[in-house]
Amino acid sequence: MPDAPERHLPHRFPFLLVDRVLEREPGVRVVAEKLVSASEPYFSGHFPDRPLVPGVLMLEMLAQAGGFLEAEPLAGQGIFLAGVQDARFKAPAFPGDRLRLEVRFEAAFAGLTRINGTVSCESRELCTAKLLVKKIAP
Amino acid sequence: MDDLKQRVKEMLIQRLKLEGMTPDQIDDQAPLFGEGLGLDSIDALELVLGIEQTFGVKIEDETSGLQAFKSVDALTAFIREHQGA
Repeated sequence: MPDAPERHLPHRFPFLLVDRVLEREPGVRVVAEKLVSASEPYFSGHFPDRPLVPGVLMLEMLAQAGGFLEAEPLAGQGIFLAGVQDARFKAPAFPGDRLRLEVRFEAAFAGLTRINGTVSCESRELCTAKLLVKKIAP
Repeated sequence: MDDLKQRVKEMLIQRLKLEGMTPDQIDDQAPLFGEGLGLDSIDALELVLGIEQTFGVKIEDETSGLQAFKSVDALTAFIREHQGA
């Protein structure tokens, strides 16, 4: 089983949004998991009486899961989100949900990579998007 | 107009969402990136995918991309040369 996400991603609390990597084939496909806790900091405001995971955070979860497509740890590498295409939010995520984050490499050209991502919960699709990731040579 | 060139232009308009543009408004010789159509690196990736999916031609690396993206004429010639190859 792969190492803890902190070993690979530079993100930290409260913005490390991947709890576990379940399957990983660098350059091809990653399946990761995020357990949505009732104590996520944003729930106090989004929304006070009706906690929902913000859609943009689902995109960030996919971006972070996409980081595991890289064979090497990301710390020290210049990798940035460059674009989001065709994002769809089909259903909300709630406290207690176990989110499955699946990302797949689609194409790369001139330092830019496009990945396809899906957030699902119990086989139900919550969010799909294509993410563009820019890698800047060190 | 050359049929393949016409299809290349239609693909450019569709894939890059050059809304309101018609094929005959795209200059055959103008560079696709920078000046000319003013495309950026995100468009380049979209274009690489569009060329592969529409014409079955793969642009493997930046060097061949730079050659192919010089102009519509260059891109048409590139596709013609690599189609069925």
